[in-house]
Amino acid sequence: MPDLSPLCALGAATPRRVTHGALTLTETPDCGLASLALRRDTPPPALDLPGPGRWQTADGLTLIWTGPGQWLVELPGAAETDVATTLAGKVPGASITEQTDGWVLYEITSSAGAAPIERFLERAANIDLTRFAPGSATRSPIEHLGTYVLRRAEDRLGIWGMRSAAESLWHALDGIAARLVSRG
Amino acid sequence: MLIPHPLLGLRDAQEFTYLGDARLIERPTSGSEADLAEYVYLRDNPAGVHRELWFHEQGDRSWLVVTRNTLTHEILGAELARDVSLARKGETA
Repeated sequence: MPDLSPLCALGAATPRRVTHGALTLTETPDCGLASLALRRDTPPPALDLPGPGRWQTADGLTLIWTGPGQWLVELPGAAETDVATTLAGKVPGASITEQTDGWVLYEITSSAGAAPIERFLERAANIDLTRFAPGSATRSPIEHLGTYVLRRAEDRLGIWGMRSAAESLWHALDGIAARLVSRG
Repeated sequence: MLIPHPLLGLRDAQEFTYLGDARLIERPTSGSEADLAEYVYLRDNPAGVHRELWFHEQGDRSWLVVTRNTLTHEILGAELARDVSLARKGETA
């Protein structure tokens, strides 16, 4: 067996992190991801599932509504484990697919409250900020790349994008954050 | 142009893909070749209120039936195509 070294989506051994003014962008490789769809004959799950446009945590998972009867499930810190099996134990009878390695997660935090996050978001995505309080999550294109955007808190966003376009998405997000600083 | 998504509220039309006449939902089950030919090839082209299928491709990937005025581009309403189809099946069942 060759000696393999795991790499982050952006190609380095350690996750990339950059700060522009109040905003910090962090590549987050340790979060596992799986998709969950309830089938017609799936018994009602014990987990509390969020409704349209929302995310919520339950039993150490973060559940993100992605469509009618469908969710993406974050398993923080579990990227190197068998997340599909873990989730299948919690939602028996549902359709579950491991997604971790198809996606990249960037966390964006603000050291100056909600304002920098909102200024960032109004440049990045076509999302109505009056309907995007903490607890909201939606799929929206950022520079033509399909992403899931989560408002984790007033001053914190999570953005899931395609791993194959990790560098392009980082370039888009990094550029927006940098221009917020240079243009004041 | 904003589309009032029944689940997600107002969403920008650029997130959607347009398919066309919502009568595509009403696929004939009679087995008649003439009915199928009409279903496949013939469309009304109204100047005014029109019901059409839109796909929320960059969003939650649901199909919507959007009622739109083709003269003014005013959007008069939107429903989930799934609900429209289930209601139709309920009527014919």
